Amino acid sequence: MSSVGQQSYQLSDYLEKLPGTTFRKLYQQPSTAFAIFRRMLPPLAKVFVQALLYMPSPLLLAELDVWVRAEGKMQRDRALSILRSLHIVQITPPGKDKPQELQLTTNFKNSLRLALEGGGSHNSFGVPSTLPVDPRIDIAYLDSYARRKWEDILHYVVNSVPVQGEGGGGGSVGGPKASVKDLLLIGRLVERRHDTKAGVGITQAGFTFLLQEANAQVWTLLLLWLEAADRAKGAAEQGKAAAAAAKTDSIDMLSFLFMLASLELGRAYDTDALSETRRNMLPALVDFGLIYIPREDTRQYFPTRLATTLTSSASSLRSVSSGFSAAAANNPGDASSLGTTPETSAAAKGSVIVETNYRLYAYTSSPLQIAVLALFTQLNMRFAGMATGRLTRDSIRRAISFGITADQIISYLASHAHEQMVRAAAATGRPVLPPTVVDQIRLWQLENERMRTSAGFLFKDFDSLEEYVSLSSYAEEIGVLVWKSDKKRMFYASKFEQLRDYLKSRKKAE
Amino acid sequence: MVKAVRGVLVECEPAIKSILVHIDSTHHHEFIIDDLDETHLFVKETMLQVLKQKLEERLKETYRPEEPLEDSE
Repeated sequence: MSSVGQQSYQLSDYLEKLPGTTFRKLYQQPSTAFAIFRRMLPPLAKVFVQALLYMPSPLLLAELDVWVRAEGKMQRDRALSILRSLHIVQITPPGKDKPQELQLTTNFKNSLRLALEGGGSHNSFGVPSTLPVDPRIDIAYLDSYARRKWEDILHYVVNSVPVQGEGGGGGSVGGPKASVKDLLLIGRLVERRHDTKAGVGITQAGFTFLLQEANAQVWTLLLLWLEAADRAKGAAEQGKAAAAAAKTDSIDMLSFLFMLASLELGRAYDTDALSETRRNMLPALVDFGLIYIPREDTRQYFPTRLATTLTSSASSLRSVSSGFSAAAANNPGDASSLGTTPETSAAAKGSVIVETNYRLYAYTSSPLQIAVLALFTQLNMRFAGMATGRLTRDSIRRAISFGITADQIISYLASHAHEQMVRAAAATGRPVLPPTVVDQIRLWQLENERMRTSAGFLFKDFDSLEEYVSLSSYAEEIGVLVWKSDKKRMFYASKFEQLRDYLKSRKKAE
Repeated sequence: MVKAVRGVLVECEPAIKSILVHIDSTHHHEFIIDDLDETHLFVKETMLQVLKQKLEERLKETYRPEEPLEDSE
């Protein structure tokens, strides 16, 4: 469950910044409403939406309390706060004469109903192509295609690491398209530098990007792309990638992405049925590996696994890597794609063994994985299909100075742990990674990070104690409170938008 | 009237905090906005990196960490 929250984190940040009018437009598409419902909501929020969906009149807010046990008040408030920030529900402001009421926003309600019941002529879930399909384009083909495209991008980022040993030197053939490189530059995942082979150097954000799961990586790149398009609307001349994207409307782009996520893997869809803005997006999506368009017939497009799992829940995300590893095993003849040997299909399952003495063995020959391990490991020896190294204070410190966190390292090691470790851990009922190593990595970080920092807002100068108490407890309920001092009547919150709205609605009520 | 001020919350041990406060006082108070409590400071966002650097320099002068045992391969 926690992994879902982490992955959708960035998307939710992007969505939260959008104004209400944007949401109203987004929710005109049933596929968007459905995708947001599926991907962005915690279970309790889903229950609320389902209950409200067919309610003919608004619900009294007080009645909601009856549904939730007293000890679940915090979860209830969080669920409501998420629903409000995504403009899924509206709550009438508190007034003296009228109790507060709760209902779904009109567009969201209508679209979600359409999505569930079917019907309407919205074509929101894509139009399948009626043309004959080339039998060679099957799921395995699409998987290996998407994998190659995506690994090209990752390689480009990894290769921009100032090389330590041979790990980062794995040559990538050609690399991604120039537009993708521009995007990585604009998004500051890499920056121009002259001391590396590729002419660019990785940034902190780039390291974070590398250690994410595939699905989170895809979203990071897509959001960069959307933001570039947003900016380009204001200032037209911003390099090739941005200028091309300027013509497309970021709202339509976002809802197209949600639509792609609802398509079926291995089916052909009709490009002629798309609007012009959406057709303009196709070349970029091909560059990312989200869709495949046959060279000889551009009237069809095929979504790949990268696209169809965009809004899936955690369990189906795992199928991305297993799908990719199957693709790797099926295409041993494909020389240009990296690491198509059987070892890499094991890599997707997990190949890293960590011992209690900080030694690390990675049963892989994928240059990509070795390069990622080299970010925080002191690699000593490399054999065919295996690399060994040690986690040392220096190697962890270096990683942390790049901006990688101990938790990222630990979660990477845990999710890539060798089957053997997983099995042994399950048999003895112990954690997968040796606790001493996990603790030591954390301690090394602490030693390095003498100050823990978090960006946000300090609220102070309250008119009354009552105002302070009500706002700070609201901040705590919606989970943005970081620090508070009752004595000084100050508190520190990670976000302010909802607190501002809360203050406004309180003012109105008075 | 309530105010919301943008900035960075720094959490650290009291010993580190006193070093930070000292750095601030010798640099025309250009880092710290508010001294919150024993373990928390409120710092200007733009100055955070500089402050981190200054702390690192100060610690290098006084602090020598234990080297871990060498590995025998």
